[in-house]
Amino acid sequence: MIHIEGHEGGKGDSGLRPRVDNGRCCWCALCVEVCPTGSLSLTKEYNFVSDDPNDFLWIPGVDNPEGKDKLSFTSGTDTSLNDFKRIPMPEMEGMERVKSFAEVVLGYNEEMAREEASRCISCGLCTEVCPEHMHIPEYINAIATGNDADALRIIYDNNPLPEMCGKVCTRRCEDVCAIATRGDSVAIRWLKRYATETAATSDLVYDIVNPEIRPANGKTVGIIGAGPSGLTAAYYLALRGYDVNIYEANAKAGGMTMYGIPKYRFPLDSLDKQIEYIEKIGVKINYNTKVGKDISFDKIYKENDAVFMGVGFPKAWTLGIDGEDAQGSMQAVNYLHMINAGEEVEIGDKVAVIGGGNVAIDAARVSARMGADVTILYRRRVEDMPADWEEIEGAEDEGINIVPQAIPIKVHKDKNGKVESVEYLMAEMVADDKGGRPKPVAIEGSNKILKVTAVMGAIGQQGDYSFLEDYSEKIKEERGRFVVNDMQQTTDPKVFAGGDAVNRTADAISAIADGFRAVKGIEEFLLGVK
Amino acid sequence: MEKIKSNLIEAIKGTYPDAREQDHEGNRLDFYVKKQCVPSILNYIKGEGYIHLSHIAFVDWIEEGEFELIYIVWSPKDKIKIFIRARVDRENPLMPNIESIWRQANTYQREAREMYGIQFEGFEAPNEFVLEDWNEIPPMRRDFDTQAYAEETFFHRPGREDAMDVREAIIERSREEIPDFAKKYSR
Repeated sequence: MIHIEGHEGGKGDSGLRPRVDNGRCCWCALCVEVCPTGSLSLTKEYNFVSDDPNDFLWIPGVDNPEGKDKLSFTSGTDTSLNDFKRIPMPEMEGMERVKSFAEVVLGYNEEMAREEASRCISCGLCTEVCPEHMHIPEYINAIATGNDADALRIIYDNNPLPEMCGKVCTRRCEDVCAIATRGDSVAIRWLKRYATETAATSDLVYDIVNPEIRPANGKTVGIIGAGPSGLTAAYYLALRGYDVNIYEANAKAGGMTMYGIPKYRFPLDSLDKQIEYIEKIGVKINYNTKVGKDISFDKIYKENDAVFMGVGFPKAWTLGIDGEDAQGSMQAVNYLHMINAGEEVEIGDKVAVIGGGNVAIDAARVSARMGADVTILYRRRVEDMPADWEEIEGAEDEGINIVPQAIPIKVHKDKNGKVESVEYLMAEMVADDKGGRPKPVAIEGSNKILKVTAVMGAIGQQGDYSFLEDYSEKIKEERGRFVVNDMQQTTDPKVFAGGDAVNRTADAISAIADGFRAVKGIEEFLLGVK
Repeated sequence: MEKIKSNLIEAIKGTYPDAREQDHEGNRLDFYVKKQCVPSILNYIKGEGYIHLSHIAFVDWIEEGEFELIYIVWSPKDKIKIFIRARVDRENPLMPNIESIWRQANTYQREAREMYGIQFEGFEAPNEFVLEDWNEIPPMRRDFDTQAYAEETFFHRPGREDAMDVREAIIERSREEIPDFAKKYSR
């Protein structure tokens, strides 16, 4: 493999290309059989004479010698040495799932995991698109060779919440898997899940990972928010000898992964195990301590050598339509929060969820588990939904009705102010002249009424930075997100930030990556370590 | 074809109770036999119309301390190929000589001797087959390090020593830091 001038590659492309020395080729065709994409073939045209050895060197795709139309041995998915079929993940049956909050995905057993792991060809394309650059080929190889403990240690090298990622990560790694060019991508997420589940308790995690904790260095860091970014920063700072305090507004840590993700996707005991482990290495979490109310930002700022904010996007956007104040009209993210906190929420037996992201699907599937008949209204087409395809399929399996190209215009109330129905217009998709994705345009007079007992809006969230008070001048934000440099440092050098309040990808693994980068930033800021 | 196969299984197992058969889809039938039975079984099936010795293949089962020899025999009448498979101790790899059954076995046995170090009883043939002045362990044995040998013995042609590794290229580009203990799993 060589680098070609002017071809730098990018996400999903190593930038390297094979170069063949035809003069030394013995026609074994192993290159054809191992190539995951099927890009190489043998030709029948092998008569070639030259005095110059360099004439025999050529790069498929760049040099075009004769014989491309006379192929002999070509690669097929049945003869290739790559294995293109994924080991299916055992799951609970669709209509069985809606009866409870039991975890839907059952997990690989050892045999399945070893077999699935052996499909990996260790190219590492996945690590580049992972925001956190997890060492994926390494831990998969460790699993394939039966070294689960090493796999877990490799995973914890830069991710302190791997079991969560193993269950709910947005896994952009699998999109670029070389095997996926012609088959199913390696089940990277499920293999991580397998490795983390081999350690059933936080004590076992501690024993296996056996973290090296450096002696205290006398520096303190205050962290606001115990979500993925805050926990990650806290974990690696504590390992490096910092005194770390997290201030968390809620009764439990985990942020959106605790209060946003339903328990059938990410069970509570699994989260608890990971939080316990993080606390075990010395991270202190102050629960029920809302910054700006129970403790001031000023106090945290003055008492610590550095501050990290992983405050997320707690406030839902409202739909901005008439009747939204009706009783029974709520924000999906708030609904999920209440359900996950164990509160009772009155939703009746017919629910409409508005939106097409993971929050919308989660709220719909939770409502179905509460016994409601659920309809999702989404303004674009099903294939435009930003939610995971597996989540969309899961919702369909569970009997949830998805109405695409539906734009809600009004919530109707009964005389007691309760939600009675939601009125929406059907939309047609119109191509965007500027080349963007097609836009939904409402069709005049296509009004439809859906009788419901509850309406949930799930069209996105935003930040709430009122806790900063006087500091909001110094710590700049732009379009709702904090401005940071490549070390996650805000415009106040002492303050670092990460997670949804900073990045645009709005997923846990990006938050973890922010937290991890901030650790290096804080280290550089406080100790001058590069 | 199934009828022919089952007759063959019955006949061979009647004479060699230790033989274990493994049927394959289509026109292939395998027998796992003891090495000392190889000549007489081959002789028997040759008499049944399996007159063509297509190949002798060799496998180095290094973990189990054995070599396997696979005699592939074809019947133009039955249109069936039989694989006779036998194992021999890797430390003392001495096999019966089948040259008297098929003359062309001479070539395969020379290859086995040179590439794997498998010896055959009373086998007479020139020592060198395709290798010249070979002083290493037989090169097709799995404990022979082909790459190390090539690096030591040959020169790289200038301009061709740039074989780059995909994993390493990506590590460098995304500035991934792999802990030392994990590096052994990178390949």
